[in-house]
Amino acid sequence: MLAYVANLATLICINAILAVTLNFIMGYAGIFSLAHAVFFGVGAYVAALMALQWTDSLLLQLAFAMTVSGLLSAALALPALRVRGDYFVAASLGFQVLAVTVFSEWKSVTGGIGGLVGIPPATIAGHAFVNPMEFLGLAAVALALVVLLTRTLVRSSFGRSLKAIRDSESAALAFGKNVALIKTLSVFYSSAMCATAGVLYADYLSFINVESFTIDASTLFMAMVIVGGIGTVWGPLVGAVLLTLLPAVLTYLPFLPQTEIGSVQQMVYGLAMVLLMIFKPDGLMGIKQGEA
Amino acid sequence: MLLVQLIINGVQVGALYGLTAVGFSLIFGATKIFHFAHGASFAISAYVFYYLYAVLNLGWPISILACSIAVVLFGVTLDRYVYVPIQRSNGSFFTVFVASFGVAVVIQNLIGTVFGRGFISVSSALSKSVEVAPGLYVAPTAGIAIVIAAACFVALQLFLGRTNIGIALRALSESPALVRTFGLNPKAISTCAFALGSLLVVPAAVLTSMTSGLNAAIGGRVMLISIAATIVGGVGSLRGAACAGLLLGVAENLAVWRFDPQWSEAVTFIILFTFIVLRPSGFFGRVVTS
Repeated sequence: MLAYVANLATLICINAILAVTLNFIMGYAGIFSLAHAVFFGVGAYVAALMALQWTDSLLLQLAFAMTVSGLLSAALALPALRVRGDYFVAASLGFQVLAVTVFSEWKSVTGGIGGLVGIPPATIAGHAFVNPMEFLGLAAVALALVVLLTRTLVRSSFGRSLKAIRDSESAALAFGKNVALIKTLSVFYSSAMCATAGVLYADYLSFINVESFTIDASTLFMAMVIVGGIGTVWGPLVGAVLLTLLPAVLTYLPFLPQTEIGSVQQMVYGLAMVLLMIFKPDGLMGIKQGEA
Repeated sequence: MLLVQLIINGVQVGALYGLTAVGFSLIFGATKIFHFAHGASFAISAYVFYYLYAVLNLGWPISILACSIAVVLFGVTLDRYVYVPIQRSNGSFFTVFVASFGVAVVIQNLIGTVFGRGFISVSSALSKSVEVAPGLYVAPTAGIAIVIAAACFVALQLFLGRTNIGIALRALSESPALVRTFGLNPKAISTCAFALGSLLVVPAAVLTSMTSGLNAAIGGRVMLISIAATIVGGVGSLRGAACAGLLLGVAENLAVWRFDPQWSEAVTFIILFTFIVLRPSGFFGRVVTS
């Protein structure tokens, strides 16, 4: 039982990192990306490849994964600089589909559909994180750091510039803000931080394949942010907890066949998104319009 | 010969893409609603047709009629009970998009649960290929797809140009305030846009079920292509959406000539990506970068 709870808690931490980093660009920069799972995947693949072929040092893996993911974020920043709203969603969707094709077809690197198996446990200074409880601690620390850093960033002058751009790009430009640079940096930060979740995920499960990084995953992360409350500190955390627990709760409903749980889960959050948008567009933890 | 074959396949697929994209573009142009669930309309219509025609053997006229009614009802209900309430309280692009996206997710999983996630296809004498030249196979569906797509497009242009409702639809995309000033009801016109736009997916859905087959995730794919065609063609331009749909279909098939078939979808997005970065207004569109 303890192992079961620890497993759920670890997954919650990983999902929460994803939700917090996605919320950073969605809620504060107004960049609605449906390609977050791509950077999650890149982080996971980089960590897995390094662990299998070179080093099991967690810190090295993190550094590399964040760099690769950050550099790749240029692919997202480029359309974000050109278009907004609907157009950007379409571009990010395209990027997501493209990435899934690469993940499943570049077999020599990603292992194709079969994925990468037998990823050795990560180590820090020679200490291997084999015990699930220790790994939970590690994930919790990572989450805390990401939340803290993101919060600090949002409250800094950088965060205020970001919100200014979200609310009116031309006004921010008129005040002399370097809109292109600020947008690019925010996408870079979000993607690099997102990769940490990928690294933890790969090291934790010791197996990854393309299934975890598809459009369904991107949708799930977006749902976490929206259900919890976009542009709030606690919203993405609440959303990540609720939506990670959802499949676990559904398994306790005896009348549901096991094979349909994935579908039912998606239906539940799809419906939740529709109803929330009609009745409470700011999400569960949302603040009233005007207070923000 | 392979090249000719690929171009013919491409035109057939492209004609259907064009038709779906025109439906999306019509709705988006007139109502400014990013109708993400347009792909769900496609899936609903295809699966209703499959169920009535291939499972219940009701014959094609009844099946097509029933799936048209289903898809129009779906579009109009969505407009009335989801989009209109949202726009009344908070009209931001994002809220509407998320709701529409949620609907698409629900429908996709509903279909997966009811009909299973595997591939299904409707067998019909029309989809049997005939060798018209050495090594060149063409099925009657290819001709039907092209003729129907062209006919629908011409009919739509006449409708938008000649009838009062059509003119009102075009007026709505220009200025909803002015439409109200002239004593017309924007809500009724937007319902009409949804009905018409949704109806346009029926021929594509029916023909796709006969040619390349269906699976539960088809709505998402169709949606991506419709969005891509709308943006590449230029938002608000039906002609653009139709041409871009055709272009994407041909490009996707030509890609098979040089790459593995798994990459054909990627080609669509490379085209979309290039357009967004280099020419966001598309072929015929106006600049809408703000």
